[in-house]
Amino acid sequence: MKDRELDAILSQAAQVPHDVDPALLASIGNSVGRSLTPVRPLPPAWALTGGLILISGAVALAGAGRLGLYGIQKMSVLDRALIFPALGLLLWLAATASVAEMIPGSRRRVSPPILLGDGSLALVTVFAILFRDYHTHHFVHEGIACLSAGLLHAIPAALASWVLLRRGFAVNPVAAGLVAGTIAGLAGVTMLELHCPNFEAPHVILWHTAVVPVSWAAGALLGWLRNRRA
Amino acid sequence: MHSESDPEILMARYQQGDYAAATALIHQLSAQLHRFFLVQSAGRGDADDLLQETWLRIHEVRHTYRPGEPVLPWFYAIARHIRVDHYRRALRTTGREQPLEEVPEPAAAPPTASGGITDLQDLLAPLPASQREVIEMLKIAGMSLEEVARATSSTVGSVKQKAHRAYEKLRERLSGAGLDERRAGGPR
Repeated sequence: MKDRELDAILSQAAQVPHDVDPALLASIGNSVGRSLTPVRPLPPAWALTGGLILISGAVALAGAGRLGLYGIQKMSVLDRALIFPALGLLLWLAATASVAEMIPGSRRRVSPPILLGDGSLALVTVFAILFRDYHTHHFVHEGIACLSAGLLHAIPAALASWVLLRRGFAVNPVAAGLVAGTIAGLAGVTMLELHCPNFEAPHVILWHTAVVPVSWAAGALLGWLRNRRA
Repeated sequence: MHSESDPEILMARYQQGDYAAATALIHQLSAQLHRFFLVQSAGRGDADDLLQETWLRIHEVRHTYRPGEPVLPWFYAIARHIRVDHYRRALRTTGREQPLEEVPEPAAAPPTASGGITDLQDLLAPLPASQREVIEMLKIAGMSLEEVARATSSTVGSVKQKAHRAYEKLRERLSGAGLDERRAGGPR
């Protein structure tokens, strides 16, 4: 059997008229009519994406400004030229995905799990290329301090992002939580790169990057809980 | 050239509070959404409930449609969400209930030549839900690959792959049932 023949069978089935009970349609029409008021459509996707990037950038800058911009001051020009554009690109991808998750029927350039896996891998690769000091002084103590600081900055970024996207509707709350957590986590990592002067490779690769998966896991968990409660 | 009955135009007017546009949309799209639920193995009663629930949700979140964007993926994305939600709740409820007796899964009967909705359900029954919905949207609702990708929150590549696998299964089934000569009167 050829595809053409299968197409013909399916289109034959498609052309059979299918009716819905007129009483049901009338009842739906009445329900809709009772609360029909004009609504303001959501802003364009590019505006929401830009808003999310601005929020994350502002949270990272404000946090690092308060704690001290020691990290960026210690970096070489090459470090700055690779780390911040990479973070910016990941942030843009995550923001685009987040907006798409909150608007039903949006175009997906990349699926959230792929974004997450590839994004974290890209971040680890950039850090592994740039940081060559393999000492591990105060590895756990300093690491936990950085992870906590990153996560503490991810929270306001997540809250502000939620305010921006609160009028959206997530058809998949887990995926929406996952990408929202990723954006918040990237805000936390950006803050750490601006602030943290510890350039030991294991510290940066493990503790700085860990902010992203911990944040997305928290976001996905919140989405899952919301889904269960609904 | 857009006509006044274009769902995109009607949707934009619905957002502005136009009741006539809202009812026109309900009449224009309900049959295909109802069929979508039926093809997804819902009974007629369930499909009625799902349709009603879908329209109420559409009404609630109508501001999330952006004028100028294709409207069908938006409708189908919400319909899918309602369907998944409905079955998740049903599973939770049935999980707590003690079955009185085992009800056997009805076997998918070979399709007949009449071409009605039951035949369509039977024809697509052996497919996994994800492939069934892709075939329903592509071949029955007449959506493009891009529109199906948007509605199912996936990529065009993934939709193509699902459609390809679904076609392989359907081909096997129809060839096995010896229906290829009986049903296919050639492409229209």
